[in-house]
Amino acid sequence: MFETRRLRSRIGLQLLLSVLVLPFVFPLIAMVRGSLAGAGWGNYATVLSLPLLPGFFVNSALLSAAVIAIVLVCTLTAAFGFSKLHVPGKEIFFWMLLACLTLPGVVLLAPLFATITRIGAYNTLWAVILPVAALQVPFTVLLARNFVDGIPDALMESARVDGANVVRTFWHILLPLTRPIMAAVVVLVFINSWNEFLLPLLFLQTPDQQTVTLVPQFFVGMYNNDQTKVLAAAVLTGLPVVIAYVCLQRYFERGLAAGALK
Amino acid sequence: MTTTVPETLATTRTGSPGRRRGVRRPAGLPWILPALLFSAGLLYYCIGYTGYISTLDWDGAAPIQQQVGAENFVRMVQDPVFWGALRNTAIFFVVTFSVQVALGIVFASLLHSRLWFKTFYKVLIFIPVVLATATAAPVFRQIYAPDGALNELLGAVGLAGLQQTWLANGAFALAIVITVQIWHSTGVVFVLYYAAIGQIEPEVVEAARIDGAGDLRILVSIVWPGVRGTTIAIAILSAIGSLKTFDVPFLITSGGPSYATEFLGTMIYRVSVAFSDVGYGAALSVVLLLLALVAAIIINVGGRRGER
Repeated sequence: MFETRRLRSRIGLQLLLSVLVLPFVFPLIAMVRGSLAGAGWGNYATVLSLPLLPGFFVNSALLSAAVIAIVLVCTLTAAFGFSKLHVPGKEIFFWMLLACLTLPGVVLLAPLFATITRIGAYNTLWAVILPVAALQVPFTVLLARNFVDGIPDALMESARVDGANVVRTFWHILLPLTRPIMAAVVVLVFINSWNEFLLPLLFLQTPDQQTVTLVPQFFVGMYNNDQTKVLAAAVLTGLPVVIAYVCLQRYFERGLAAGALK
Repeated sequence: MTTTVPETLATTRTGSPGRRRGVRRPAGLPWILPALLFSAGLLYYCIGYTGYISTLDWDGAAPIQQQVGAENFVRMVQDPVFWGALRNTAIFFVVTFSVQVALGIVFASLLHSRLWFKTFYKVLIFIPVVLATATAAPVFRQIYAPDGALNELLGAVGLAGLQQTWLANGAFALAIVITVQIWHSTGVVFVLYYAAIGQIEPEVVEAARIDGAGDLRILVSIVWPGVRGTTIAIAILSAIGSLKTFDVPFLITSGGPSYATEFLGTMIYRVSVAFSDVGYGAALSVVLLLLALVAAIIINVGGRRGER
């Protein structure tokens, strides 16, 4: 995009880029440095030796896995229906879902609280899984429908001519073709549910049910103002998502871009 | 909006032979039902319930719920904290949107140029997006603490006179909340612009360059109009995002000092959870939801009109 034919301008632009990126990196460095201050790696040893810690990670993993499963099923079936099948008034249904994209999670606070305490789901993972999944579905349906729209109808029709019913068409034709968008949905939903803060804060009260986003607060309570331990805990909770992102970078960016460019 | 003409067209269309859609598509209602019943069902149920609660004087747990009509809404209009939260949201939106658009376009254009280590830079810009605010908050509180990294830095370069108790000052606290948000979500804006700029044809840029356009001119006259659709999408995302703002102010300033960083999200949380005034919280939620819908519609319609 920019002029880089002369080495001098190329170095200039490289410098500009580096200077602009610096503020984004600085907090990350401060985080890692802070976590190693004082006792050094001992901070990590202290944090890791806490018997409660693995529970936070297990709960977050369970939460993410359940949300991903629910969202995938709803998204793929809905994308197939909206894009390739006959549904009377389907655009109305589609807009009903899209309107939910504007919905801030905090709006659900009072009704969810009342409902969840009434059905006795308070302080269980389900109280978080269901609303988090429901809030993700509108966006992932939008993503997946755009993708499925790009698959030629002729493929579905020829499958039908060959005698495949709708279920087989879905299973044998559509599913294999939607792998790229499935990957994007999985990565997006994983990061969103792993990072969810408000709903766990509200509905998960005891440490044995809580998720990793509540770990820093838990440690603030435990270690008072020993910031080094809090930062070590923060680094540990951040690592899984950063690793997931770095490994699956391609899918992640493609998924995000595909959704907003339509 | 439209007359009955499309309907008559539709009937002739289905009747006409030779249309490719000769074979009727199989019924798809059962396929969209799981998503509709689960997601739309749960969310619309909650919205309706919120609407009902907003007419109550209720603490969220007691069996006694007193109908008060529109009283919660009247109270809201008279509540200076509510107007303060709206003002903060507006400032927050204008600043985060402008800074992120500028940074996003510059980053995306730079990373579409021939430079070294591009993937490395992309990853660095995007890591803050995948980190939860809850994970990043401790380090920001530490940076801006009275004995934190920022004051230390100022002291080290001989500007000790500028040292502040940053988070205790309303104006600085709001600026810090905005900064953290920019740090957190510029990566998203960058990725969207990166994809959009990838669709601008290189020939156009080449031709402009042959005609003597410099880097800045290309940015203003070719890139900026070329990514217009993306800018509108980002405006919607960031308007709704500003209205939704909760994690950053809650975790870094808890809405303080004295409501200087209060947003609708943090206000709803404080009113409903800390003050157990669920009816008032629900009334605030209804207004927040309406504002988000209206913002999305205005930006969408405005952006489309500008295109013509």
